[in-house]
Amino acid sequence: MIEILSKIPRFMAYRRFGWPKMLPINLTLSPSPRCNSRCLTCNIWMKREDELTLEEWDKVFQSLGHAPFWFTVSGGEPFMNKEIVELCQSFYRHCRPGIINIPTNSLLAHRIPQKVEGICQSCPESQVIINLSLDGVGAKHDHIRGVKGNFEKFEQNYKALMALKATYSNLTIGVHSVISRFNVDDAPELFAYAFSIKPDSYITEIAEQRIELDTVGLNITPPRDKYGWAIDQLIARIESRHFGGISKVTEAFRVEYYKLVKRILAEQTQVIGCYAGWASAQIYANGEVWPCCIRADSIKNLRDVNYDFRRVWFSPEAERIRTSIRNKECYCPLANASYTNMLMHPPTVARVGAKVAMASIPLLNSREQPEPTPVLGGQ
Amino acid sequence: MQWLDEMIRAPKDAGYAERALARYRLGMKGHGALCGVRILPGDEHCPVCTHLAADMYQPDKAPRIPLAGCPYAEGCRCAYRPVMTYELVNGSAHVDS
Repeated sequence: MIEILSKIPRFMAYRRFGWPKMLPINLTLSPSPRCNSRCLTCNIWMKREDELTLEEWDKVFQSLGHAPFWFTVSGGEPFMNKEIVELCQSFYRHCRPGIINIPTNSLLAHRIPQKVEGICQSCPESQVIINLSLDGVGAKHDHIRGVKGNFEKFEQNYKALMALKATYSNLTIGVHSVISRFNVDDAPELFAYAFSIKPDSYITEIAEQRIELDTVGLNITPPRDKYGWAIDQLIARIESRHFGGISKVTEAFRVEYYKLVKRILAEQTQVIGCYAGWASAQIYANGEVWPCCIRADSIKNLRDVNYDFRRVWFSPEAERIRTSIRNKECYCPLANASYTNMLMHPPTVARVGAKVAMASIPLLNSREQPEPTPVLGGQ
Repeated sequence: MQWLDEMIRAPKDAGYAERALARYRLGMKGHGALCGVRILPGDEHCPVCTHLAADMYQPDKAPRIPLAGCPYAEGCRCAYRPVMTYELVNGSAHVDS
C-alpha cells in the first residue's frame, strides 16, 4: 500500500506533463460479456466477442508485471467463465495484486463458493473481494435483474460465502447496489436490508449510460433530486456509525464519492481530474484496451501488439485519448475510476484525513457502536 | 449525456450494421427488456435518416446503415440504439434522440 501511495505524485506528474510514464494501478478485465441476468440497466449480455483465451491473457499479464495493485474481474457474469480461477491464478502469478475484486449476480450460487474458495487458496497474498449485486428486496430485485428467484439465490450465495470467511482471512464479502430510476424510490428499504445482513462492505453506484453496456440514450439514471434524496440517507447512515481501523478511511472515501456523484450530476463536468487512461484502464474480452468502460474507445487491440500491454499504453493512440480526457471532453461518476481519481486529488485526501482524525477522538464518538470492516471499491 | 451521444456517432466500419443487428436479434430472443431497435441520426438535420428516427424496427427489418445517399464523407454517423419495453408509451417507441 505504501508503494501505491508513493506512486500518486508520479501519476499526477504523468497526467500533467506526460512523464514519468506509468502503467495503471487499477485494471478491470472483462473476459466475457456473457451474462445470465437480464437487467433493465444493462444490455451487455447481448454481445458476443472473439474472446481472449487463457493463454492470451497470460501473455498480457506477463507484460504488465507488478504494476497493477487492484484487479477487477468484470463481465458479463464473471462466474459463468469456467476458467475464472485459472485466470486469477495467472494474474496473481505475474502481477501479485493487492486486491482482486469480483462482482457477481449470484445466479450460479451452487458453483460460486467453490470457485471463490479456489481463488482465495491460490491467491493468498491478495485481498479477494466478492461483491454481490443487490438492486432491490425480494421480488423488486428479481424484476430489475430480469430473473425470477434471483433474490433467493442472492441470499443463498451470501450465506455460503460468509461461511467461507471463517477459513479464508483474505476474503471480503460486499454487497453492491445500482441505484437506478427503477429502484430509487425504494432506496431506504434497500439500504436497511443491506445494512441488516452486515456485509463487510456496502457500496452503491448510480445507473449510468455506458458504451460498454449499450445503454447510451436509455432513461435509466435516476433524476438528480431523487438520487440526492436517496444518497443523503445512505450518507447519514454511514456517518451515524463509528468505524474502527482502516474502515474509518474507506468509509470516509465512500462518503466523499457519494458527494462527488451529486456534484458531477449537477455540474456535468469532471469535478476532479479523471485518471482513466493514466492510473486505471480496462481490457475488454476481445483484447481491446480502453481507458474506461464508459467511453469504451479502443486504444489498440492487444492481439495486434503480441499481447504487450506497454505497446498499447505508451502508444500515440493512447495519448490522443488521454488528451481528450484531460480536456474534459467526457465526464461520469463511474465508481471504479472515481476512487482512483479521489486518491489522486489532494483536497479529497485532505478531507478524508481530517475526517479520520476527527473520528479518532474518543469523546466525540463514545455513544456509537463499532461496525464491521468495510473496503473501498466499485462494481 | 451529450458527449456520449457524440461518441456513439463516430464513423463506423463496414461490419457495424451486421454486428449490431446480430446483437439485437440475440437480445430479442433472450427474454430481456429489449423490444426493438431504432436509428439515432448522425445529426438532427441529416436529410437521409432524420425521418427514420421516430420508428422502431425488428432487427431483421431495420434499414441497414449507412443509408444510400449518406452525406457524411468520412463515414455514416448514424447508430442503432436499443428500444426497451420501459420506454414504450401505449405500445409505441417514445424515445429521446
